[in-house]
Amino acid sequence: MKRRGFLKKFRGDQPAEPSAAKPLRAPVQGVPHVGSPGPRLFTNARLRTHENKEVRFYDDLIAGKQVLINLMYATCEGACPLITSRLVKVYDALKDRMGKDLFMYSITVKPEDDDPAALMHYAHMHGALKPGWTFLTGDPYDIETIRYRLFAMDHIAIDTNIYGHTSFLKIINDATNHSLHVDPQASLTTVLWKISMANPPMTQEQIFEENKKLQERIDKERRIYGYRMTI
Amino acid sequence: MPRKKVKENKESEHSKDLKMRATITRREVLKMGAAAGAVTILSPTILTSRKSTAYAQGTVEEPILCTPQPATSPAHVPFVDDLPIPSIAIPTILNPQPTKNANTPLEAARDPHQRWEEFNPSIQYLLTAKAGTHRFHRDYLPSYIWGFNGQYPGPTILNAYGVPSLVRFKNDLPATTLSFGKNQTTVHLHNGHTASESDGFAGDLFNRGLFKDNHYVNAYAGIDEFGSQPPLGVKGDPREAMYTFWYHDHLLAETANNNYLGMNGVYLMYDHKSPPWEFSTPGSLRLPGIYGVTDIPLLLGIRRFCPHDPARNRTEMFQQIGSAAPASDKWVVNGKIQPKLSVRRRKYRFRMINSGVTLPWDLSLHGPEGSVSGQQRRMTIVAVDGNLLRTPADVSATSGFTRMDIPVASRTDVIIDFSMFSVGQSAYLVENTQNPPVGQFVATPTPADPAPGIPIGRVLMRFDIIGNATIPDTPAIPSTLTDLPPMPAAAPGVDPFEWGFRFIPGQPDGNSFRISHSTTTDDNTQHTNSFFAFDPVTHPEGTGGPFDPGRADHVVLKGTSEEWVIRNDTLAGGWLHPVHIHLEEGRILERTVCNTPSATGCLDANRVNVPLLPWEDGNNSRRDVYSVPGQHNLRIRIKFRDFKGRYLIHCHNMNHEDAFMMVRWDVVETMAELRQRREQINEERVARGDTPLYRKEELG
Repeated sequence: MKRRGFLKKFRGDQPAEPSAAKPLRAPVQGVPHVGSPGPRLFTNARLRTHENKEVRFYDDLIAGKQVLINLMYATCEGACPLITSRLVKVYDALKDRMGKDLFMYSITVKPEDDDPAALMHYAHMHGALKPGWTFLTGDPYDIETIRYRLFAMDHIAIDTNIYGHTSFLKIINDATNHSLHVDPQASLTTVLWKISMANPPMTQEQIFEENKKLQERIDKERRIYGYRMTI
Repeated sequence: MPRKKVKENKESEHSKDLKMRATITRREVLKMGAAAGAVTILSPTILTSRKSTAYAQGTVEEPILCTPQPATSPAHVPFVDDLPIPSIAIPTILNPQPTKNANTPLEAARDPHQRWEEFNPSIQYLLTAKAGTHRFHRDYLPSYIWGFNGQYPGPTILNAYGVPSLVRFKNDLPATTLSFGKNQTTVHLHNGHTASESDGFAGDLFNRGLFKDNHYVNAYAGIDEFGSQPPLGVKGDPREAMYTFWYHDHLLAETANNNYLGMNGVYLMYDHKSPPWEFSTPGSLRLPGIYGVTDIPLLLGIRRFCPHDPARNRTEMFQQIGSAAPASDKWVVNGKIQPKLSVRRRKYRFRMINSGVTLPWDLSLHGPEGSVSGQQRRMTIVAVDGNLLRTPADVSATSGFTRMDIPVASRTDVIIDFSMFSVGQSAYLVENTQNPPVGQFVATPTPADPAPGIPIGRVLMRFDIIGNATIPDTPAIPSTLTDLPPMPAAAPGVDPFEWGFRFIPGQPDGNSFRISHSTTTDDNTQHTNSFFAFDPVTHPEGTGGPFDPGRADHVVLKGTSEEWVIRNDTLAGGWLHPVHIHLEEGRILERTVCNTPSATGCLDANRVNVPLLPWEDGNNSRRDVYSVPGQHNLRIRIKFRDFKGRYLIHCHNMNHEDAFMMVRWDVVETMAELRQRREQINEERVARGDTPLYRKEELG
């Protein structure tokens, strides 16, 4: 007990909180996070949308936003159309947020072939002409840079093959400094769950509320299957 | 140990509270030690919590990450830090009291605890996942970490069989972070015989502000068959005892990042055979057993660091937002780079744990023999993955086994008898295969090698023999350590189920880890069919698709056993996949390798047997991590007992499991359930043009 008292004596001598150790400010959607790598990583390449508008990649499309980015090209007949149709499902599941605090970008890896009109045609064909979903083309060098900056897997077989990247969906929230990726061919629940990991942080009340709802769903499943089965 | 730097870091109220608790711990530990002998003389640094100062939530300054990846981590001087011993977790009385059903709103949603009344937990712990700082080396400034109770390694939990425990894992991770960690968690006790809702299933993740009670029955597997057993009335089959566990974050798709940040710790179990003392008691094997003194966990890990940042008093770990855990150039033992440990001329038990995140270790012990320095010396393996070997195995220059492999997440308990050295000599734990030929980066210019043929960069840690034993040495290691339970039988008429890895160009690794059914006429076509039948492009949904925590791809019946084949078709020299199976230990029957390397499958005729190592042979050992290099096939038997629910089989290279190299399988309780679930899986497979997984007679 002596020793405990000894330490107690020092307690009062210490500054209440070290001044440098302030918590990070709460992220505000729309404002880039203090740790955001900004255009240093994303680049401010000038790209063209399927509506033939010029945009800067970081400043106009990413800064302070939660975004989903994938690579595609209009003439792709393998995985791209299926992935695009999957992304349509993802879009529909999140359509309340799309264009407001969540944005989807599809960048062509064949900018030589895909001009804005070709992208517009592709989007139209796949039912992807939706608010908040932008198809992008630009200078081949810029797009190659973006592909390597955002989609590099340190895997030679994947990184050197421009078509290899079509199976990644990059999830970035520049306001919370989240950056993840998911295979859009994974189940819809998995894709949505990964996107939710980059959501703006919930308040404690929201967390409790969500947890309560989850418990109700688990209880329901237990009555049917005997244990937590599908969630 | 040096008694300085106590107030080196600025302290919050909370950290002082922690220190006060640490003071109590130390006293208790010394008391414990005094009972066992003159422990204090031998005692290395008992507590690390002084240096890895923890702060209250939200007050640890977030890291500023360096980018791009530095060519090397900062230099360090080898062997200046004493090996820290992770502090011992102190039992507590939890408030609110743990309950069978989830304690909403504060507890994470879950199923009710199974066997709760039967194993009402009598010991409770609180481990809080939160940010902290930790010094990885004397020459380093503090690094930002996430750890349990804010420290790395987390506190060690010491438990005994027959005494059920409950660990409340609380998530106090920062609401927003500059690190690459994700502030959700789920904690797996690797490889506890644990009910699904307490097993840290990857999808059972929970948010900050919540806690989750993991209920550990601390009984041997086989509770249903064996009931309580003499001598101590512990339930289950005593031959199923496991001793060395570790607990770690198992967050779906983000396990590597959170573990790299430090979210893991040691959990040890004791029983009459392996008690926490060394004097003779009934049934005791009398292995070195005093925690932190003669029985020392070595949590092996890898890290890479940013340049020192004196302005912020930090040497941050290198992390890249949006990327997996990086390739590393510093090897860390119990949170220190190249530490040293003072030992005496007697036996010690080291519980080596590969805490990952990606690479296997391949270890040997080197020291002087007579006047010749740098000779390989003997280590004796007594247990792997927490399971005692039937016959202990030597790793030495003459035993036929010169290397000891520890794949990620695997544990190997070795006895080193330092009486083979003289006072004043030093021995070295050496890693042999990572980053050949130099190993980790030490400094430029590279310091002198400790002995000819042992590059300094290859040394994990140094043992300094400082004197004769003060606690009497333990007797010779018994030649038989345990009886193994009988080999689980393969159900008649049931073919082995096969878990296979392939590399599909352009697809992430996880897309290629699948279950299929091997047949008795095992041939190339069959495998090609079963592997390529899954086409992720045309069949993105349903069984056989990429991992989904809400979907099981295989269902087994509680109380039965099965034969499984783990198969890696990636070419030799490709990734070695350390496969981990939850819930149960398995027994390896056979290891084969393809002698005509082919990425599309291998004819049975082209498979040749590879002799099993004594610490993987199913007749001598039980495993929960199976090391499967390219072109290898492992045939194992495994039995599913005592608990129902959802479990995992996955590659424990954490970057791989995060890429969904993972499959969920379920244990159900009745034949009717089994039949219904298996029919459903068959239907889903047939609907997408695949072969059914189960034959008619396997439907139950």
